[in-house]
Amino acid sequence: MRLGSTELKLEKRLTLSGWQAALISVLAIVFALLIFSLIFILADVNPLIAYQKIFSYAFVNPHGLPLTVNRFIFLLFCTYAFIIPYRAGLWNIGMAGQFYIGALATYAVLYAFGAKSFNNSNLSPVVIIPLMLLAAGVGGAVLGAIPGFTKGKYNISEIVVTMMLNFLTFWLVAQMIKEGGLFMNPGGRGESFEMPASLHAPLIADIPFTIFLVLAFALLLYYMFAKTKIGYQIRAYGKNPAAARYAGISALKIPLLVFIMGGALAGLAGYHYFAAVPGVYKIARNYGYFGDLAFYGIICGLISQGNPLAAIPVAFLFAGMSNGGRFVQGELSLGFGIDYALLGVLMIALVAFQFFYRYSIVWQRTEKEISDVGIPN
Amino acid sequence: MSEFLIRSLDASTIFTIAALGELIGQRSGILNVGIEGVMLFGATLGFMAAQTTGSYLVGFLVGIAIGALLGLLHGFFSITLGGDQVVSGMGIWILGFGLTTYIGNPYTGPLGMDRIPSVLGVSPFFFVGLLLVLLTWFVLSKTSLGLRIRSVGENPSVAEVSGINVSRTRYLCVVVSGMFMGLAGAIYSLDYNPVWNYNFLMGWGFISLALVFFSMWNPFILLGGSLLFGILWQLSLNPQLVLPGLLSRYLWRTVPFVITIAVLLLISTKWFRSRWGAAKPEALGQPYVKQ
Repeated sequence: MRLGSTELKLEKRLTLSGWQAALISVLAIVFALLIFSLIFILADVNPLIAYQKIFSYAFVNPHGLPLTVNRFIFLLFCTYAFIIPYRAGLWNIGMAGQFYIGALATYAVLYAFGAKSFNNSNLSPVVIIPLMLLAAGVGGAVLGAIPGFTKGKYNISEIVVTMMLNFLTFWLVAQMIKEGGLFMNPGGRGESFEMPASLHAPLIADIPFTIFLVLAFALLLYYMFAKTKIGYQIRAYGKNPAAARYAGISALKIPLLVFIMGGALAGLAGYHYFAAVPGVYKIARNYGYFGDLAFYGIICGLISQGNPLAAIPVAFLFAGMSNGGRFVQGELSLGFGIDYALLGVLMIALVAFQFFYRYSIVWQRTEKEISDVGIPN
Repeated sequence: MSEFLIRSLDASTIFTIAALGELIGQRSGILNVGIEGVMLFGATLGFMAAQTTGSYLVGFLVGIAIGALLGLLHGFFSITLGGDQVVSGMGIWILGFGLTTYIGNPYTGPLGMDRIPSVLGVSPFFFVGLLLVLLTWFVLSKTSLGLRIRSVGENPSVAEVSGINVSRTRYLCVVVSGMFMGLAGAIYSLDYNPVWNYNFLMGWGFISLALVFFSMWNPFILLGGSLLFGILWQLSLNPQLVLPGLLSRYLWRTVPFVITIAVLLLISTKWFRSRWGAAKPEALGQPYVKQ
């Protein structure tokens, strides 16, 4: 495109700095919100008012903000479940299933200690809470090990396997908490029994302690990718699996390991949401909704380009937007699924903007008459 | 029992058509992991159009058209912009999952139209599926267009040098591929199970993706795989036919997914794969940049 003596030109980027990547991400989000305005306009809602309500509920409102924070912890766990395999070039879209299994494992511990049948206040939180965390992590890791193994050993698409496991575990939760299930609420409301108050997760300023856990993982993962041998091996495998094999990195070990780590973190999200968020303390009837929400982890992981620290603000933003989206849905009597639609639009905008990770637009003075401008195809 | 077989054939038709679409795209070197999203769009918009106009024909045409558009979008991301095809496919899946949940919600419930009459006892789309398998096989292996498509999928730079327009060939394939997927989605929501509910496809798009890898890019093996999956799915939806009272109804819902993973495992063993020659398009998933 030409304007007078300057022209708009696409240039292949040789490097992409962190700030450039962040700028592209912000532009992608702004672009997505502009496109998403159409949905509000079609529903006869002023988009400015809608966005104002979304953001003020999510980040200012005294009822909304704690929900955002809890969602943020959940989402950051799910993002890490995506990021670790992503750095190895693998796609974990099974965070929903690993999250369900984490929740089930948490309640299995409670069940094993008899927390269902009698409200036992002798149960020691010092013992049981770490056990629940451990169980949630192990549960998620075991489920994660399946796609890791089938990918590493038989080269089966991890995308297909993780998706199958999402559906499988969805019904497994239903089996456990609905009619006749082991964890069924005695009142039979299609949810699990409630955990004894003595085992509620410790709160710091009304925020569950899991926030420290997830932020510790942020540092740990950052350190792992930047400084450790295993982090290096994961990145090498992600860049070029064949070359990594020649360098002596096992083709089975890396996929298995990244999926076990990712699964364990998604499992912890299951502990967090159903055993640590104030006011929940049971596997809720709408657990499937949180499973769907886990897919926001894919977008967070992609936008933060697999960087565990960059994922923190991104997860906070999306936690707030999905929370606020759900709120305006009721507030402005919109149809069900505003937060789902937002997920979709954000994702596709991000895909489009990936282009700018590789190309930049520059203004140049034209020197020659003929210039071939365009995207190479 | 014959009712059961008919339902199995109907189910397998959907797998066949969706997977054929993916096969065509992959043969030209374009991987689309977003089949589920395209099918959700085809199914939802087809359902809405059919219910609004009262015409099945309009419903199917809308389903095919939205499939073509999404194919074009995937082509734009992966051919013109040269982006990562898995990222683009994932984008299309999540777009489909998110957006159809919202726009389809007011239409939740049954379609409320007379069922599409069966032909010789089965859904007419079963024959459409067979025809498309034959047609795809014929075009891909017996025509010069098919040769062009395959060479673009194997080695795009050599194809380009020999005078084939790589981009145009790939665009043609992704658009046709999207049309097949959109049609498959519309068959699900208008014929196989005409009730709309959000995210109702239960991973059928992902299974179709697995079927293409399974088929070694051969339409006939793909048809066989679809029949197998159609029967297995139908069996697990009707547990009383096999083992009455063995598992609870929720556990039975998990069976199709267990079976899918088991079958994938079986067909991915060396033992199984060494029996069939693989014809994986060499340039699959790699963006092509003209030098």
